[in-house]
Amino acid sequence: MNRLKKNVSLHGAVALLAALGMSAVAHAQTGPIKIGVLAPVTGPLATPGKDMVEGWKLFWEQAGHTAGGRKVEYVIADTTCNPDQALTQARRLVHQEKVHFLVGPLCGHEGPAVAQVSKETGVPLVMDAAGADTITKWSRTPSVVRTAVSASQIGHPWGEYMYKELGLRNVTFIGQDYTWGHEVTLGAVRSFTALGGKVAKMIWNPIGTKDYGPTIAGIPEDTDGVSAVVVGADRVRLFEAWFNFGMDRKKKIYGGYWLHQDVLPQMDDRAIGLIGNSLNYAAGLQTPENIAFTTAFAKAYKRLPSWFGESAYTAGLWTKAAIDSINGKVEDRDAFLKAMRTVSVKAPRGPLKLDAYDNPIQNVYVSKIQKIKHPVLGDILTNVPVKTYEGVSQFWTFDPKDFLARGPYKR
Amino acid sequence: MDRGRLALSLIALAAALALPFVAGPFWTGLATQMYIFGLLALSVDLLLGHAGLFSLTHASFFAVSAYTVAILQVRYAVPTTLAAPAGILAGTLLAAVFGISVRTRGVYFILITIALGYVVWGVAHRWSSFTGGDNGVTNVPFPAIGGVGITSHTQYYYLVLAVILLCALGYRVLIRSPFGLGLRGIKASETRMQSLGYRTSAHLYAAFVLSGALASLAGVLYVYYNRFVNPVASSFPISVEAALMAIVGGSGTIIGPFLGAGVVLGLRNWVSSFFEMHHAIMGAVFIATVLWAPDGLVGIAARLRARFSRPKEPGP
Repeated sequence: MNRLKKNVSLHGAVALLAALGMSAVAHAQTGPIKIGVLAPVTGPLATPGKDMVEGWKLFWEQAGHTAGGRKVEYVIADTTCNPDQALTQARRLVHQEKVHFLVGPLCGHEGPAVAQVSKETGVPLVMDAAGADTITKWSRTPSVVRTAVSASQIGHPWGEYMYKELGLRNVTFIGQDYTWGHEVTLGAVRSFTALGGKVAKMIWNPIGTKDYGPTIAGIPEDTDGVSAVVVGADRVRLFEAWFNFGMDRKKKIYGGYWLHQDVLPQMDDRAIGLIGNSLNYAAGLQTPENIAFTTAFAKAYKRLPSWFGESAYTAGLWTKAAIDSINGKVEDRDAFLKAMRTVSVKAPRGPLKLDAYDNPIQNVYVSKIQKIKHPVLGDILTNVPVKTYEGVSQFWTFDPKDFLARGPYKR
Repeated sequence: MDRGRLALSLIALAAALALPFVAGPFWTGLATQMYIFGLLALSVDLLLGHAGLFSLTHASFFAVSAYTVAILQVRYAVPTTLAAPAGILAGTLLAAVFGISVRTRGVYFILITIALGYVVWGVAHRWSSFTGGDNGVTNVPFPAIGGVGITSHTQYYYLVLAVILLCALGYRVLIRSPFGLGLRGIKASETRMQSLGYRTSAHLYAAFVLSGALASLAGVLYVYYNRFVNPVASSFPISVEAALMAIVGGSGTIIGPFLGAGVVLGLRNWVSSFFEMHHAIMGAVFIATVLWAPDGLVGIAARLRARFSRPKEPGP
């Protein structure tokens, strides 16, 4: 059975030996670097969890399981998308497995739980997916850095895009009714209304809404566009309901956070041409880094990565850059955190650097669903960027102090 | 209590006291969780094992008490000496309201408790300006009385151990009291108890509130251990798990719910570290319990004991 523990793989062995040879004198008595990875391997978000684990694995296989001249080992713990379990597993990784730092978790509400463990033990936490705004705004922890994205960071450009590029003035917002959904949707509402746009209606649906009929029936007649922020299985349900009700002939729907790569295999050609996402990653991005990454990912796992896969891969890239810059001395937690905060990374999703509040400044891509000919996978639906907002801060164009004084987005 | 059981209890107590020195912080933490969820399971079992009522709303009392403590301590800097009793009080008051569900029996009781549980979950989840929504309330400090406070999880382990031992003793007195026997009587035949002149509804209502108070106490212990609380604590699966813990360990006993909590938490947290399909094992354990060990682990132990011990001479 999968022991969920990765040691040296064969194709990384050569690089490893070379690296060990070089640093054998310097680190003769140090053992391997141990990293604890918290991911929902089972449970409601097991599919993104799988992407996360595999993106992470891919990076370290490519890197030959070495960083800073030391061997790198990692232990993957299953959080099942439950904060209690995430907390216990984080404590297990710290106390039993004696990891040098933690990576994860994925589910938004697990974030504060794991940050708690980082706070009480001092073990650094690299948040590579959980997006709660508050982690890098109102409740920051000195030992926590985020390499992924804050929820509203992708919402702000989306509001501006709808107003300026799509020319919308009266938008109905469909949002998923939980913290991430609130923060993405209300971030977009804020930048959209700041420009003079009007909210025709807000429709909130809890995660796991079975029937999107009432939602669609509730869209006002005079609205000139619909913005969708939906997650999990709801993404497919909204998609199906939209076409089944014939809405595609009446209104335009745009995905602020909707048609991610992991859900596209469940959709068909009706999706082509829809705006799918406003996100810090799009699998169809044509940069050398992303082409190399998506090709390797496709070869290894026979599919394209979603943003969770890219995010975990980049967390690997980022932590390796930090470890390299301190010559593998991860035992010095302050030095490691300082390195995480100062290195800049050229990730598949673009250039990255942390702001003064430990959240990455990064590009946000508005993407359209297209069918492309992929060299490995053949014909496949993917997100192709149509507009790039470069170097977006989690505070958008607002002053950080005012933003923080204003408080979190709440419905 | 006969000599064998006394010896066994003393050994168990010694093992519990020695645990933090023998095992690492992870196992100590897991044992703390086992005690806390065991206490929650015990509170559910007061209704399930003694009165025959299957409640699926106990996560509500657990969570309301945890939220009360967390909000008072974090936002209003209220000391533990006031926050902890306030938590228990809030949970118990809620139980006094939810106690109206004892007007129903059987499947209706189960359904109404599920519905009530969802109301509390909905409030915790949706009233985000007060409860913090999905993010919950974080940064709960360790408990402290005056200037003396808990500073480590090991110390907290002993505190929880002391509390659950006191609860277990109190529970023992309660179930052997006329009140406890009355509950058993209702479970066996409510109509007969009524014809004997008992006001069974009042009896069950009191049991429901007491059980809610015990669940609230578990909630207080939980929030100081986790140091945060979010809507998951009030969710339906927690109520179900508490009942399953009681059943797996041995419903109607005191040690059973704690053993059951150990099995469930152990499977989830330890087995998941090396076996991906740990949920399947959990399912298999529940099925096996229902089919072959309806009295749980305690039932198995009793059966083995009966098989291997000599039949005793009848007493004088």
